[in-house]
Amino acid sequence: MNKKIIIIFITAILLACNFLFPQKPTSMPESIARRTEAASQSSESENLVSAGFTIVRLHPKGDLQTMLANEAQKAIALKQMPVVEFDATWCPPCQAIEAAIKSKNKLMLNAYRETYIIKLDVDEWRWKNGKVQDFHFNAIPVYFKLDSEGHQTDDVIDGGAWGEDIPENIAPVMDEFFHGG
Amino acid sequence: MKSRIFINVLSLIILLSATLGSCTSAPTMPIQLASFTENDVSVSIALEHPSAENYFLSATFTPPDGYHLYSKDMPVHGINGLGRPTLFELTANSHIRASGELIESVSAQQLYFEPQELPVYPLGAVTLSLPVELLPGKNWVNDELKITFMACSSNQCKPPVEGKIISIRVPGAYLFENQ
Repeated sequence: MNKKIIIIFITAILLACNFLFPQKPTSMPESIARRTEAASQSSESENLVSAGFTIVRLHPKGDLQTMLANEAQKAIALKQMPVVEFDATWCPPCQAIEAAIKSKNKLMLNAYRETYIIKLDVDEWRWKNGKVQDFHFNAIPVYFKLDSEGHQTDDVIDGGAWGEDIPENIAPVMDEFFHGG
Repeated sequence: MKSRIFINVLSLIILLSATLGSCTSAPTMPIQLASFTENDVSVSIALEHPSAENYFLSATFTPPDGYHLYSKDMPVHGINGLGRPTLFELTANSHIRASGELIESVSAQQLYFEPQELPVYPLGAVTLSLPVELLPGKNWVNDELKITFMACSSNQCKPPVEGKIISIRVPGAYLFENQ
């Protein structure tokens, strides 16, 4: 009888100790991903047509593939190569490239000749889990060549292809990507 | 009869050992509270107790090779919209209180490439530590932290993580006072 009482007593202490002194924290983070969602639903395109190339920014309105097909047709009509570029306002390398173009850096203007750049902001187009619809990428900036129907091809290049983000490094690599073999 | 006594004694010894093992389970330092990886940056959150009555919540951010993180002192929305600070903060619902400023394990420096006005940490991991006051008592409490970071290399960026809420369980100070 006494033994049973002792065993019950010890078991009770054991349970109490486990309750009061957990062996280790069990809490783990909940994956509550919060992403800035750009509210822009504008259909306005900010076009930059320069000597021999075109830059267009598309905002979400309708089906992306349909919009890309339309832009690809415009590119072909201009005898320019359609290319999608994903960028973001918070991305310093992306903004460095844009600044080089806007400042009319000769190396960059030459590299971009005969191209039709379709810019897509990853926040507006909801980059999640490494993809925007059928485009898969893990870092920006990234460029996808399109075919004449606006479908992505296997030709892709990203910032990893060049070193420090200066026109002297970027331009030769982009020139080769756009116009090489 | 002897074997029955032996079994009873053995049972008691096993139960007593288990009991003592549970009751002396004082936390060892540092206590890992949470960890996760998002956008290729690993984040590990721990509680440290370097000396009596001093407690630090620490978060170690480890970006991919060749990538850097931005200074904790940058504005929340970056400089001219560029970059995002590396931060971990207590939330409005937090039970524990900060008793000092966030401390960085390495100093931020200016970028050696454009745009040079952005302060970044050297390539590799950085640990931020926040001195905190734990709740009195021996109970563990549920709490939460808010995490922000963004990793870039000299030519690419991963998407930012902004204000991600992480749930943790934090022990009461009593557990350490009796060590």
